[in-house]
Amino acid sequence: MPSISFENVNKKFGDVSVVEDFSLRVEDGELLVLVGGSGSGKSTILRMVAGLEPVTSGTIRIDDRDITHLAPRDRDVAMVFQDYALYPHLTVRDNLSLGLRLRRMPAAEINRRVTWAADMLGLESLLDRKPKQLSGGQRQRVAMGRAMVREPLVFLFDEPLSNLDASLRARMRIEIGGLQRRLNTTTVYVTHDQVEAMTLGDRIVVLANGRIQQIGRPIELYRNPINRFVAGFIGTPPMNFVEGSLHRESGEVFFVSEGLRVELLADRLPASIPSKTMTLGIRPEDVTLADGKPVSGGAAGARLSGRVLLVERLGGTSHIHFDVGPHRLMATVSSEEPPEVGDTIGIEMPSERVHLFGADGNALARPD
Amino acid sequence: MARRPKREKSSMRAEQRSAWSLTAPYAAFLLAFAAYPVFFALALVFMHWDLVTAPSFAGIDNVRLLATDARFGRAVANTFVFLAIHLPLQIVTALGLALALNRRLAFRAFWRATFFLPVVISGAVVAILWNALYATDVGLINNLLAKLGGSPIPWLTDPSIAMPAIAVMVTWKNVGFYVIIYLAGLQYIPQSCREAIELDGANTWQRFRHLTLPMLLPQTILVVTLSTINGFQLFIEPYVMTGGGPLRRTYSVVLYMYTNAFSYQKMGYAATIGVALALIIGAVVAVQRRVIGSAEAA
Amino acid sequence: MRPVVRAGLYAALTLAAITFIYPFLWMASTTLKPPFEVGTLALIPHTITFDNYRLMWSRAPFGRALLNSILVAGTITASVLVLGSMTAYAMARLTFPGRRVLNAVTMGVLLVPGQLTLIPLYTLIVQLGWIDTYAALIVPYLFNATAILLLRQFFLQIPQSLIDSARMDGMGELRILFTIFWPLARPALAIVAIFTFMGSWNEVLWPLLVVRDQQLMTLPQLLTVFQLGGGAGTLGVSLAAAMVLVVPVVVAYMFLQRYFIESMAGAGVKG
Repeated sequence: MPSISFENVNKKFGDVSVVEDFSLRVEDGELLVLVGGSGSGKSTILRMVAGLEPVTSGTIRIDDRDITHLAPRDRDVAMVFQDYALYPHLTVRDNLSLGLRLRRMPAAEINRRVTWAADMLGLESLLDRKPKQLSGGQRQRVAMGRAMVREPLVFLFDEPLSNLDASLRARMRIEIGGLQRRLNTTTVYVTHDQVEAMTLGDRIVVLANGRIQQIGRPIELYRNPINRFVAGFIGTPPMNFVEGSLHRESGEVFFVSEGLRVELLADRLPASIPSKTMTLGIRPEDVTLADGKPVSGGAAGARLSGRVLLVERLGGTSHIHFDVGPHRLMATVSSEEPPEVGDTIGIEMPSERVHLFGADGNALARPD
Repeated sequence: MARRPKREKSSMRAEQRSAWSLTAPYAAFLLAFAAYPVFFALALVFMHWDLVTAPSFAGIDNVRLLATDARFGRAVANTFVFLAIHLPLQIVTALGLALALNRRLAFRAFWRATFFLPVVISGAVVAILWNALYATDVGLINNLLAKLGGSPIPWLTDPSIAMPAIAVMVTWKNVGFYVIIYLAGLQYIPQSCREAIELDGANTWQRFRHLTLPMLLPQTILVVTLSTINGFQLFIEPYVMTGGGPLRRTYSVVLYMYTNAFSYQKMGYAATIGVALALIIGAVVAVQRRVIGSAEAA
Repeated sequence: MRPVVRAGLYAALTLAAITFIYPFLWMASTTLKPPFEVGTLALIPHTITFDNYRLMWSRAPFGRALLNSILVAGTITASVLVLGSMTAYAMARLTFPGRRVLNAVTMGVLLVPGQLTLIPLYTLIVQLGWIDTYAALIVPYLFNATAILLLRQFFLQIPQSLIDSARMDGMGELRILFTIFWPLARPALAIVAIFTFMGSWNEVLWPLLVVRDQQLMTLPQLLTVFQLGGGAGTLGVSLAAAMVLVVPVVVAYMFLQRYFIESMAGAGVKG
């Protein structure tokens, strides 16, 4: 099975640069997720692989074959569109088989593939229906089936789950993931939903403004975000951020902001830091409520006190929104005995869980 | 059922009264100019009447006469000749122009307006104009032909060329209308379907055949139906340009009906032609819809 | 789009546009040519003469015919707009027994080909003694089914709250229709006005049946009679007559093309 390689791919619309210097290699059989907000360039990159958008400069190869200037029909690539793009005047069976009929495949082979895809996707009873008689989830599966029967080199998914409701989305996520693993076809999957990215991707590419922010496995992006954007994008609920600055005092290093002081482990920090101002980040799930025990993980960290503003009880866990000085923060804790609104609570921020981002947004200190 | 409060009942009555006074003129109009003529047409089929003397009962004389009337048969046959040229020409031209206009080009509003212009112009003017264009000696078309080294063609005076020539003219007159219809249809083809079929392996022709054309089926049916009805209603063109000749080869059904009423004063027979025409149109249109519908489904 | 394809499209469209415009230009220039120049391809005549127009004007009452057309088309359009709105308003917003029947019959009218009713309508006119009267030209067109359905469709969409508050203010139905509905329905009214006026302006068959007196003929009718009766004599003169009919329409079209297209294409489909 092939891999895809992007070499310095650029895309401009007129003077506006939409994708800048995109270089990446997608491994055989990998499910790579492109994630980012609107305008991040993710859909444009996908469409460039499909050939639906011309490349301004750079090269795209599929398994070492330069496809940059090939017509879409010659690339052996299949795409699942956001609106499914089913042919309204054809039955499900004809929708699935049109691509194969256009390539003059023998009828027996067409039948075999259609039956195989229909079975795998649970479409057997729907083969003679027209798209308008199908539900959103069924249409989505027909769109996938149409891509599957072609047995292409690459699958492309363009936000396929955006038009489905939440529960259906969760179910389809699992189905798509399972399907891709079974078929082992190299897949590029575009979404704006970081939950989809985290659960589906073998690797994730976080994009913003046409540039790659970070590439890595989901857990790497979660544990070691390379900059503030990625840190704030990945993870639900999103990371807490506090603006402040660095102070050195008698051999120890502190992050200081109004009402808040966190001791940092000096040997984790780079030797020279250009500017003193920085941002501290900590995930809500890494914030714990103090219960009298000493701060875990060796010295350093912080023990703060804050006032509870709001408690969101979600059954097993609770989100506690609290104030520390002027800063509004959030902690996610298990719901054994959550505090009440108005309570003063003790909060612990273990230093090994603390992220630091410099004035330029890049991470300075990462936890282990 | 609970009794309605008195005030509500009277306001209901007031509303009804207003409604009736507002619609009474229309209802009267429908009776006189829509309902009565339909029924009287059917009655006239069984009458002889010259408008001067009293009408007399004719039994099925008119119908029998129509069934064996060579002139009527000729007129119907002429219409089919007309349609055989006009329909395919209309579809191909209108669709072609619509496809061309459906791209991102400059001056689109200008092209559209130009193609639609003849639709707005009176049929009489178009007939007179094309009479001049088709004139064998001083006509514009033969003039152009001469400049290109060809010899003049007797457009309207040759029995086998005249009706096709009229068919081309009527296509010219109406194509703009159908361009608009096809353009509207093309808007409804989703861009993502076009992209999907490209990825599925279609070249431009295959995309047209498997996506565009089938999705334009409703529009094509409309083009065929309206053009057919229009063809059967042909009057001013043969009336002005050829008088029905040469050798009655451009004689149209409506022209025949008009002549029977206006010149021969045979109201019963003229009405019979009218009824027959309505039935023929209905039958032809029904068959067309069936044929096109199933051809596309194949 | 590749440049070659783009150039090809522009060329094809330009060629098509020429075939649609050129005949009109040629017609216009022919009317300005003296008889010996008629038939040439030149768009600008060597000698410009207004003889054709003078001859045409003197040989048949075209001025009168123009007035007739304006009168007939104008009256019909006004009637369709006013009486049609009244009917459409009642059918859309008032409840009364027979509303559904009226609706069904109106739609049925659209299905009947004009040829079926042509002869009986003619005999009716004869029996009413309306041959060679304006009544014959106008009365059968006072109401237009397509217009009524179109207006009714539009009126259905106006919020009930506007009507309710107007009724509470004591407004009668007609007041409501003309002071509230009409300003809101301007686009629909414009569309109806255009296709009604144009339909009447271009109509030939009916006038040919019911009017014999040249003084009462409409413009396209007189033009046809003139052409067939040999009154024209030369091509230049007959085309000059045609110009009188065409020029006002083309001028109006140049300014209002969007409305023309929307009106005649849209209404034509519904019809």
